[in-house]
Amino acid sequence: MILNKETAQTILQAALSHASADMAEAVIEQDRLALTRFAERRITDHIDQDETTLYIRCVRDKKISVIATGNLSPDGIKKAVIDCEAMLAYMVPDDNFISLAKPDNAVVVENRISENTADFGPDKRAEAIAGIFGVAKKGLCESSGALRLEQKTLAVANSLGLSRYFTGNQAQISMTLAGMQNNSGWSMGYHHDASQIAIDRLALTALQKSMTSRDPISLDDGKYTVILEPAAVGQLLILLSFMGFGCATLYQRRSFMAGKIGEKIAGENFTVFEDPLDMDFTTPLIDYEGVPKKKVALIENGIARGVVYNTYYANLMNTESTGHALAPNNSYGPYPKNMVVAAGDSSLDDMIKSTERGILITHFWYLNFLNPMQTMVTGTTRDGTFLIENGQVSSPVRNMRTNQSILEAFSNITAISKERIVYPQYSVLMKVPAMKIDNFNLAAESEDNAKC
Amino acid sequence: MLEALDKKKLARLALDDARKFGVTYADVRIEAIEDQNLSLANGTVEPIDSALSIGIGIRVIKNGAWGFAATDDLREAVIREKTRLAASIAEASAKINKTTIDLARVKPVSAEYTSSYEIDPFTVALDEKIAFLQDIDKAIIDVGVDGMNSRNVFASFRRRDKYFASSEGADISQLLIQTGGGLSMGLAKSHRERYERSFPSSSGQYECKGYELLEELKLKENIPRLAEELKMLLAAENCPQKKSTLLLSGDQVSLQMHESIGHPLELDRVFGAERDFSGTSFATPDKLGNLKYASDIVTVVCDSTAPHGLATYGYDDEGVPAQPVPLIKDGILVDYLSSRETAARIGHESTACMRANSWINIPIVRIAGINLIPGNKSFEQLLSEIDDGIFMDTVRSWSIDDERRYFQFGCEIGWLIKGGKLTTPIKNPTYSGCTTEFWNSCSGIADKNSWRIWGTPNCGKGQPGQNARTAQGASPCRFDNVEIGTGS
Repeated sequence: MILNKETAQTILQAALSHASADMAEAVIEQDRLALTRFAERRITDHIDQDETTLYIRCVRDKKISVIATGNLSPDGIKKAVIDCEAMLAYMVPDDNFISLAKPDNAVVVENRISENTADFGPDKRAEAIAGIFGVAKKGLCESSGALRLEQKTLAVANSLGLSRYFTGNQAQISMTLAGMQNNSGWSMGYHHDASQIAIDRLALTALQKSMTSRDPISLDDGKYTVILEPAAVGQLLILLSFMGFGCATLYQRRSFMAGKIGEKIAGENFTVFEDPLDMDFTTPLIDYEGVPKKKVALIENGIARGVVYNTYYANLMNTESTGHALAPNNSYGPYPKNMVVAAGDSSLDDMIKSTERGILITHFWYLNFLNPMQTMVTGTTRDGTFLIENGQVSSPVRNMRTNQSILEAFSNITAISKERIVYPQYSVLMKVPAMKIDNFNLAAESEDNAKC
Repeated sequence: MLEALDKKKLARLALDDARKFGVTYADVRIEAIEDQNLSLANGTVEPIDSALSIGIGIRVIKNGAWGFAATDDLREAVIREKTRLAASIAEASAKINKTTIDLARVKPVSAEYTSSYEIDPFTVALDEKIAFLQDIDKAIIDVGVDGMNSRNVFASFRRRDKYFASSEGADISQLLIQTGGGLSMGLAKSHRERYERSFPSSSGQYECKGYELLEELKLKENIPRLAEELKMLLAAENCPQKKSTLLLSGDQVSLQMHESIGHPLELDRVFGAERDFSGTSFATPDKLGNLKYASDIVTVVCDSTAPHGLATYGYDDEGVPAQPVPLIKDGILVDYLSSRETAARIGHESTACMRANSWINIPIVRIAGINLIPGNKSFEQLLSEIDDGIFMDTVRSWSIDDERRYFQFGCEIGWLIKGGKLTTPIKNPTYSGCTTEFWNSCSGIADKNSWRIWGTPNCGKGQPGQNARTAQGASPCRFDNVEIGTGS
């Protein structure tokens, strides 16, 4: 079933017609995914999948219940509403609840479909992957990765009269080219239009990194000047976001932003906005309550400015929703999904040339929280870590572990690139530059893999 | 939940069509997954997360390559269209693949399997479930810890109704009932310091059991101890940075097994299928039979037949029967977690670890049930033998490199051990090491009295990301000469 606007509205109105609660909301979401995954010079997983989910949220006497179902038959829809309302009997009133989202007059773009992405079928995908195999073969490397095309459709209606629809698609690829001399290189690309991703050029980037990373050396533990490529910046940013850019963690005082709004928490040269309206993103321009997404200053010139809200927390915290409600059945609370870090005036090349001794990091792996209140994380570098000496890459370096406060790192930025890329992770899109950062903690794992 | 569907007819339709499209192998999974998650956050009953997902996944081999299509639209015309799509996807792959797929043999069976449970949690009234959680929450309030600013109590129930049929003749119905529950309490000392105590682990405990699990977890009984430990953390010392004898709680050993034995032994990862995403493995096939993975006292068995494990099932998603298979025997690597395709490449039989998150996903090799065989000393004996060391309890932070060689893990609380006794409480305890060196330093495994199968409800792997439920049988273990205090 293709979930066009008419079909979506028919299903949503059918659901609402069965509801007798004080307020009711129906959300329908369809995810279509085509993915081609490759390794060992062959396509390993090649898939096409689609799933449509209907969420019902009912409110009576400040009691709230939610249900999700994949059964979209007339009986299935009716049963979902009946079951949802039946659950209300067991719920406890939530005095903090005021209202579902109210209708507004905002005009929201409803369609951001790239036909080129929609038409990038299995044969085209296989052909693109074959090109990567060819590049890898030249460098005696094995390639692995995934080419991913996604379409998300989201429609919302509620008993207060709100009704909204959005559909959009996107394409992304990531790849690793690895050789036999402890060498590997990684690259990725993202675009609304799959045909605009220069897959061959990305393969050459990964190959060049891989060839340069042969026979890496070990470095001592210490504080280093590092140059983080955009993906590495994005990986730190998304953890920062999970730790503190949402209203729920702020309200519960589990966020590093708690008590800090208006105060300096990072360097003056660090600014990040949540900006779903940036034209490089094609994710939904409405949230799961149908509220249009807004641009939000998170950290501006190092000053903590704000977080993102859904209707519930906005009511509770006496502000407006920023359009960041997640699916009704989530309990985590809103977080930014389209962050944009302000560009600088440098370039990756300039950063390298201006570095007497430092480390260039392609990206990180398995970053995880150590102490969220101090924005402390741990993780390792991966697929392209290089020593810079006297303004040029002098040697590949074995992967190193970092134990680092992210806000401390974003307080020590000495250069930011003008060029930014869109980096996707965990359904979040980030537009991020490269950064040069002083005093970044890095530790050697071991000098000898043979012992391990 | 699948009763309302003529699942055999739908599967036959797909399999018959697949044959017409010239595939050499096809399998079909039709599944209905019902979830119900309840939680109390700071006393507020959160909206109940109640979800039902039903759909079909069709996997084929044509011209030696895989193709897969899945949908929740179960109209016959759509299933036929998706079968055609799976075949055409396989054809596209085959145009560039130089190698073809070979599957390890498995005897196709007609079978039914139902996991063991006493009380179907979906028959228990919601008000009873909510009252259970409120009772636990009240007990947390009653212990009265000053400054406690977060309380969470949860219960989780899943009913997974699965049907598998293959072109080889397999016809398998399975019903899995799973329950989880747990609690946590948190305390902020300042803007920069916050501590948490969770039970039974930081993600609770999940098992293939019915509603009866919630009482068995003894959540309420552990609240006074956890509250005392939370207060201890306020005044606790930081973890010292040195090499030390390390005693780990069972839940932390479970995580250690999951990350440094389970994942590195996934044979698809070993062959490079995950290189771009979740990485590779140091445990390459040339090491099979000769790698001294762990000390002599360590034997780990892949066993998804173990009663009540979260990854206990009758058959995997290729119709291979679950069975006990040693992975590490007396410290030596002897087998991998595998699928029919990967097992064939090392001349072994599949260890029945090919599993999909749901009908929508293609199966991949997953950690199933992996069990560390218990030792013969009690926890108290292990502790009493340590003159100078540290005990760490409850998973808090975990990170391991992309070859699964080097790790750094942290726990919610620790105690220094002096003269065989727990003494000074430690906050932010961490330890690090390299996998085989660490497991070879294992000098003690607690006996079956402190052994349990820990359920991990949220193991991530694959593209698109799949969230598997895994299980690790573990008891507390002692490790010698371990680096502690890194990153604290």
